[in-house]
Amino acid sequence: MIKWLILHQWKSGIRSTIRQKNLILNLIIGFFIFIMVAYLLLLGLLINRIMQEVYPGQDHVRIFNGFLLYYFTVDLFLRFLMQNLPKINIESYLHLPIKKKLIVHYIVNRTSIAIFNFLPLLIFIPVSGKIVGAQMGPAAAWTWILGMLFMIFANNYLGTYLKRQLASKPLIVGITGAFILMLIVLDILKVFSFSTVSAAMFSYLLNYKYLLVIPFLWMIITYRLHYNYLKKKLYPEEINIRKNRKIDNISDIRYLKSLGTTGSIIALDMRLFWRNKRTRTMIFMLPLFLLYGLFFYPNPVYKDMAGFLIFVGIFMSGGMMLNYLNYVFAYESNYFDALMTKNIDPAKYIRTKFLVGIMISVICFILTIPYLYFGVKIFFINAMTFLYNIGILSIILLYMATYNKQRMELSRGSAFNYQGIGVSNWLAMIPAFMMPVIIYWPFSAAGYPDTGIMFIGVLGLIGLSFNRYLLSFVYKNFEQRKYKMAEGFRQK
Amino acid sequence: MIRINNLTKKYSGTTVLDIPSLEIKKGESFGLVGNNGAGKTTMFRCILDLIRPNSGSVESKDEKVSGSEDWKIYTGSYLDDGFLIDFLTPEEYFKFVADVYGLQDGDLEQFYKDFGEFFNNEILGKKKLIREMSSGNRQKIGIAAALLPKPEILVLDEPFNSLDPSTQIRLKNLLKKLKSEEQMTMLISSHDLNHVTEVCERIVILHEGKIVQDKITGKETLKELEEYFAVNN
Repeated sequence: MIKWLILHQWKSGIRSTIRQKNLILNLIIGFFIFIMVAYLLLLGLLINRIMQEVYPGQDHVRIFNGFLLYYFTVDLFLRFLMQNLPKINIESYLHLPIKKKLIVHYIVNRTSIAIFNFLPLLIFIPVSGKIVGAQMGPAAAWTWILGMLFMIFANNYLGTYLKRQLASKPLIVGITGAFILMLIVLDILKVFSFSTVSAAMFSYLLNYKYLLVIPFLWMIITYRLHYNYLKKKLYPEEINIRKNRKIDNISDIRYLKSLGTTGSIIALDMRLFWRNKRTRTMIFMLPLFLLYGLFFYPNPVYKDMAGFLIFVGIFMSGGMMLNYLNYVFAYESNYFDALMTKNIDPAKYIRTKFLVGIMISVICFILTIPYLYFGVKIFFINAMTFLYNIGILSIILLYMATYNKQRMELSRGSAFNYQGIGVSNWLAMIPAFMMPVIIYWPFSAAGYPDTGIMFIGVLGLIGLSFNRYLLSFVYKNFEQRKYKMAEGFRQK
Repeated sequence: MIRINNLTKKYSGTTVLDIPSLEIKKGESFGLVGNNGAGKTTMFRCILDLIRPNSGSVESKDEKVSGSEDWKIYTGSYLDDGFLIDFLTPEEYFKFVADVYGLQDGDLEQFYKDFGEFFNNEILGKKKLIREMSSGNRQKIGIAAALLPKPEILVLDEPFNSLDPSTQIRLKNLLKKLKSEEQMTMLISSHDLNHVTEVCERIVILHEGKIVQDKITGKETLKELEEYFAVNN
């Protein structure tokens, strides 16, 4: 029976229309994975030398063990955010004489085949041999790597279990994230040393090898936890949908009603974003874009790298807009036919999308004004890149969006959901982020960096003042492409 | 009202639709029948400017539908789920449709009153999103939304599918009434020969994209259709 389940899973994978159509996207993702594996492999091979360089003459096993609790905590958090739950259409099996137990075991085990479980081994295996083994002998090396394996899979079962249970409760996720951050800060401030606890725990394991039974039991417990949860919930509606959701009255805004069709389209967009899992995940990613500057501004190294700061500026006020405009038509793929046959003027429709895109950018810009704290120059760069974003980038993105003709499934949410992302979306990102930097360079090389930054803003203002003219190109292109888009959107 | 000239549509070399000429007059109720893959939906999509034909054109009120938006004002249509906005409640969806057609709240209330029987208390006030409703109820919402702006032309693709028997009868009566009282032009495709002969005064049989029969409904039509489909399968 298991044989059939695996076979069906395999077929649903290779026969998925999305995968077949998206060869280039697959190649790009494949390339990134390849690079990542190559790096990790290299890091693993050189791990003993690196440790020697960074921590000369110290107890490397102890240092490494000190990292582990952090690693597994962060790993758990990342899994929660990013690891995709395998999608199995249980309805097609439940009515057949197959034992429920078997289906549940299969679903739980299916999560084991995730890249998250195998990438860390590229580091852990060399560490077990070259560091633990070299220092404490082969028996310790075996104990250590087995312990790691149990912990990795325990994290796998626990992470996917938590994801199943809590995916719809972003607040809890946020609090957990903050808690982990706090632990790290406390450790840095030396208030409470999480790493000492971690080092002690895993040293015990190496000294008393029979303690290996603890991580093993932990793995079994997490497996049973996930298993029991699913076993109880093995009804399609309970596994997939949340029930009894209240209908929000978001977007029942009086002002929108006064705008006529434009208002209706905006209200529709707001509901679209709030009521679908995938788009809602995106809203929760907003702080990530806004906090981006915080990674760079406090560091004096970047102070004089204006080219880089331009990139940061574009990203902060434009990142969210990019997410919106780049897929602006694909988001509505579910009901694109309706929009095309109802009395909606396409020119007005496109213009409304443009305005919403700009509004998003305005909000992002306002929220990043506090970065003024890091100096007027940073504010100046952010203001100019903001103008560029709303005047030029917005139009480019809208134009590119007409080339994205893949249906997007909005009910499945996850940070790394590539479903429905077309090649055009990737192409759009290149000019999106690089063009202002390219514009800036000649000015900077000629010795007028500030003029260069200002020029980026002026370009934006020019684009903004001619937006009606520029949007007419988008409109013409849209009219040309709408049949292709409609056809693509219909393909499930 | 609607005129089709030399319309063809090909998918990877195969012709799926080939209609040299067809005219549908104002107030006519036009029934389209044919087996799966005969080209019914493709034809409707061409009429609604949702696919670009390989050649030919569709005119609505003497104006080509491609390149014009005017026909949308007087055409109501429901082909499939893709016409519904699934994350809205039915009320929100109707409100949206009313807004884009510039209708007032009063019109919407009247509409709810008129369609009260058709909805049979299963649609309004349920606090459910459209995507959480059964396919029959979604079908009702789509058909009602197509009729909401009181269109002159109505295009429905297999409207009787997945409706319960009571609603099927209600829909039949509603369509007959719209025809006699409002002189609505109706284009309806169906697999159910009983329903379509009852509602439509003109029946066209489509086979492999071509019109093979075009007849005015009479007493013998149902029998003739049954005979046709018994042989050609």
